[in-house]
Amino acid sequence: MDGKIVALRAERENDSARIVPAGPFDLAHAAAVAHAVADVEPRLEGCRSIDLDLAGVDRLDGAGATLLAALLDRLDQTGRRTRVVGAGNPEAARLIALYRQRSTAAPDTPPRPGRLSRVGRVAADLPRTFTAALDVTGHFIAALPKAIASPRSVDWRVLPKLVQDIGADAVVVTSAANLLVGLIVGFLGVSQLARFGAVAFVPELVVVAQFRELGPLVTAIVVAGRSGAGLASEIATMKVSEEIDALRVMGFDPMRWLVVPRCLAIVAVVPVLTWIGDVTAIAGGLLATTAITDTTPRAYLLATADAITPAHLLAGLIKTPFLALAIGLIACGQGLATQGGAAAVGARTTTAVVLAIFGVIVIDAAFTLLYVAMGV
Amino acid sequence: MTDRRPHIVVRDLRLGWGSRVLMESVSFDVARGSTFVILGGSGCGKSTLLRHMVGLATPQAGRIDIDGLGEPYRYDGAPPFGVLFQSGALFSSKTLAENLTLPLTTWTPVRGPMVQQMVQAKLDLVGLGPFAGHLPGEISGGMKKRAGIARALMLEPDLLFFDEPSAGLDPISAVELDELIRMLSRDLGITVVVVTHELPSIFLVADACIVLDKAAKGIVAQGDPRRLRDESTIPFVHHFFTRSSPASESKERVI
Repeated sequence: MDGKIVALRAERENDSARIVPAGPFDLAHAAAVAHAVADVEPRLEGCRSIDLDLAGVDRLDGAGATLLAALLDRLDQTGRRTRVVGAGNPEAARLIALYRQRSTAAPDTPPRPGRLSRVGRVAADLPRTFTAALDVTGHFIAALPKAIASPRSVDWRVLPKLVQDIGADAVVVTSAANLLVGLIVGFLGVSQLARFGAVAFVPELVVVAQFRELGPLVTAIVVAGRSGAGLASEIATMKVSEEIDALRVMGFDPMRWLVVPRCLAIVAVVPVLTWIGDVTAIAGGLLATTAITDTTPRAYLLATADAITPAHLLAGLIKTPFLALAIGLIACGQGLATQGGAAAVGARTTTAVVLAIFGVIVIDAAFTLLYVAMGV
Repeated sequence: MTDRRPHIVVRDLRLGWGSRVLMESVSFDVARGSTFVILGGSGCGKSTLLRHMVGLATPQAGRIDIDGLGEPYRYDGAPPFGVLFQSGALFSSKTLAENLTLPLTTWTPVRGPMVQQMVQAKLDLVGLGPFAGHLPGEISGGMKKRAGIARALMLEPDLLFFDEPSAGLDPISAVELDELIRMLSRDLGITVVVVTHELPSIFLVADACIVLDKAAKGIVAQGDPRRLRDESTIPFVHHFFTRSSPASESKERVI
């Protein structure tokens, strides 16, 4: 603030009055202007004719004009005759006229659901979310033979880049996550099994837990968070910027052109990432066990080699393509379902990641129950 | 007293990326309170020049001086101008009123019911009073642009930049927007800089213009667009204003 004084003087004569603003009536002094307007209004009680004399205004911008125009409108509404005297300041008079002639029409606000109603809507939409997932899966299954019959309807050239993005670029983060899981299982195994003098079984514990359950699960969750979000936001952005519509009108099926290569890439790389993760988890278990027991690395590795059986290895690796496919379909399906602008892209990406992680856990649990039933 | 200094002074500007020069030796003045139009064909660098003028990019050489401040604006405080982007650039998760509230509550001490009053006045000014509670996704393209103008006006700037304001609009919406731009300059005394290649808009709003040419890598003509249309002997300027192509002209000559 510059210390300039905003004043709104009311000069009364019988039943008429002259309002004389002085000083800067602008955005920087809006609070003072509003205060002056509020002060002057009661002093105009009983006046039938009111003139606003703008000759003394230093500066008037849209903010000042808004407040003065609103005052004149209020006085008009109470049956008083108002007039703007702009002889000494025609620009200011024009500005006030501009803000007065644009009277507010009745607001036409579309109804917005409340918080409780939004919760209800999410709950009511759950079955639709499930059927939408089945719908995407069905479309994908239908698109696969068409893609094979008509290879030019699929964007195969993007496949190496997708493998690089989803696979090679994710090796470090998935390996690090699995290394830490191996380390945790190792420490936990030593602390629990040492009570029974069964530290020698820690390598087997790491192998069974990691190869059958934790390896596929941890790898899939990391891929869902990383690549699932990437795929969903990429396709959602394409949807809101009408690229998907452009594909359709050019005769391309987005399911074949976009979803098939992405799902194939993710199905191809997740088993590899899981296998690399299994190896790093063994390293984690070895580090933990050799650090706090007198087990030698050689003894640990020999015990690990004995514990790895084709059944353990396959039990984990068989389910990884299904977990990967679920991530790919959920991410791409959410992307394709996007409607709206930038906010919708964010919302769909969040939903895609949440659903993908949840889907991965459900599928993993289903496989575990199946293995138990089969006695594998 | 009217300030006769130019509102914007651009001198010896060179724009480009890395070793690629898009335009060079660009110099012009924008008179205070005028509507100044930057013209040129697609890809000649009109929008790039605008991005440099509003401080979103740094020139390779030269000077852009707004309001005699000397220093380019660096986005660390209330902006001394408003900008309307091509799409309106409204925040899609916020209603029109919330979009307009943001600069006001961020950069001014205005609070409480006065905020709503100011916001409503600006929406009324651009004819969107009844749509304060709408989300950008619920209104048309032309309305989004008018809402963008209302947001750009919230801090009462005396300088506004418009990037292709009538692009993608039907003729009636385009004329309405042009008239709004004219009103901002005429009635509010705002200096307006418009990037466009829409000929009807140019003749309706422009007091002065520069014509950029990709091949010449800079300005090929400047002045009153009506005079340039009627008197310019520069082939590119002639073809631009008469909507003719050099190819069709040479074909006519052969016939």
